[in-house]
Amino acid sequence: MSFDAEERLLESLGPRVAVSDEPVVKFEHVTKTYKLYKNDRSRFLGLFSRNNKELVGIVHANNDLSFEIKKGEAVALIGRNGAGKSTALKMVTGVSYPTTGTVTVNGRVSALLELNAGFDGQLTGRENLSLRSQVLGMSKKEYQEIEERAIDFAELGLYIDQPMKSYSSGMKARLGFAFAASIDPDILVVDEALSVGDKEFRKKCINRMREIMSNENVTVLFVTHESAAAQEFCTRGIVLSEGTKVFDGPIDDAVEYYEGPAD
Amino acid sequence: MFSTLATIIKDNWQWRKQIGHLAIFELMKQARGAVLGWAWLAVKPIVFIVVFWFALEIGLRAGSADAAYPYFVWLVAGLIPWFYMSDMFSTGSDVLHRYSYLVNKVKFPLSGISTLYSLSTLIVNAVLFVILFVIYAAYGMPWDIYLIQVPILMLLMFVFWDMFSILTSQLSGISKDFGQLMKALSQPLFWLSGILFNMNVLETSGFGWAANVMLFNPVTFFVTAFRDALCDKRWFWEDPVFFGCFVAVFVATLVSMVLVYRHFHEEVSDVL
Repeated sequence: MSFDAEERLLESLGPRVAVSDEPVVKFEHVTKTYKLYKNDRSRFLGLFSRNNKELVGIVHANNDLSFEIKKGEAVALIGRNGAGKSTALKMVTGVSYPTTGTVTVNGRVSALLELNAGFDGQLTGRENLSLRSQVLGMSKKEYQEIEERAIDFAELGLYIDQPMKSYSSGMKARLGFAFAASIDPDILVVDEALSVGDKEFRKKCINRMREIMSNENVTVLFVTHESAAAQEFCTRGIVLSEGTKVFDGPIDDAVEYYEGPAD
Repeated sequence: MFSTLATIIKDNWQWRKQIGHLAIFELMKQARGAVLGWAWLAVKPIVFIVVFWFALEIGLRAGSADAAYPYFVWLVAGLIPWFYMSDMFSTGSDVLHRYSYLVNKVKFPLSGISTLYSLSTLIVNAVLFVILFVIYAAYGMPWDIYLIQVPILMLLMFVFWDMFSILTSQLSGISKDFGQLMKALSQPLFWLSGILFNMNVLETSGFGWAANVMLFNPVTFFVTAFRDALCDKRWFWEDPVFFGCFVAVFVATLVSMVLVYRHFHEEVSDVL
């Protein structure tokens, strides 16, 4: 009886379980290594030498990381700063490549990371939206569908047709979020992006996130070091520590593991 | 090696729409903020041409009187392709820093970044070529079959400098030293590549070896080839040694581009 109620509650909150066994994101023994050099000179020399005598250190941002995320799942990557969460996300979005191992991603990724990166100050807000849609390879028709939605959402008023160099950082972030949240992605990647704007806007963002996640085909990958946010949105948690997976399971257990005395 | 080349070509083909749109946006960015916006893209090179014409023809009397064509046409036929090549040489070789958000923040093929910059530069250059043909017509030069080389050469120039930019932008992404080197070489290249003087004068003044070195200079090749088409009325492949040297440079650039791309393209986004 109480189990039923709990299940109904979970359902009302959105997609909480996988809708199929098809993996959308798959990490297989992924290791990402960053080489650290003493200075620019040794970095330059390091290009030509195979031995590592110019290095001051090697960092494994991800170390033999393996996991699988199925379609429709909402997964939180939890870990302290430097645990390798963002590195993993970069590989999911396809801008970075693993040193060894393979990363497989099926579907269109929309990433809410560093929201105001890539906006051009000379172009207006509207032009920047159009530019961004073209970078992502959206057709004109697709863009027209989301343009008004994104502009309404960002609440920039007359500023939408002003050069973006006149925007405040909050305005830029709002436009960035509005765009990323307006497209209907297959995979939504969120990297602590919810601290955008004031309280009102933040609430709106969270509502929009819920709305996206209520589509059961959307897979969500949420990266945070705040366990409360993770518990709000996700059902499964993967705890990372120093680049390796230390826990993978239901979100509440994951949070408990993360918060609990690890030593 | 062939698979890397295939990847580069496939990336550029699959992303052609985005590359085209971004090239337009690149021009919009440059034109933005001024009332005459678009006109300024052409004004700078035009002023350059006029000043050079004044300094060289009126001031230094560098044009030879007995030539079969006006010195001004000859000068402009070399300067206009040079504007494209100098942009590709100085900015095109460091294009990844210019578009770092396409490298770091969104998924976009690295080779496509070079192509989009190359394309936007070529669009401006095509407008300058229209002006060149206006000058050409104003001097009453003939409209003959040799002119068909101009679009072919523009395409060849686009392909070659796109490859060059893919090659060098990876290197300057890895280490800024390459980018600085390219910027430092840009000016000497202008003065040494025979844009302002005919390469043949080197032979007579005892610098024949310099002329031989310049056979391998792609800037000299393109400048000479455009002048062959417009002024000297020759085919650019007519001199087998000169054309052969260019083919060798072309192949060498292609091979090094593929090798460098294969080795570095996954690493660039980590170090940029």
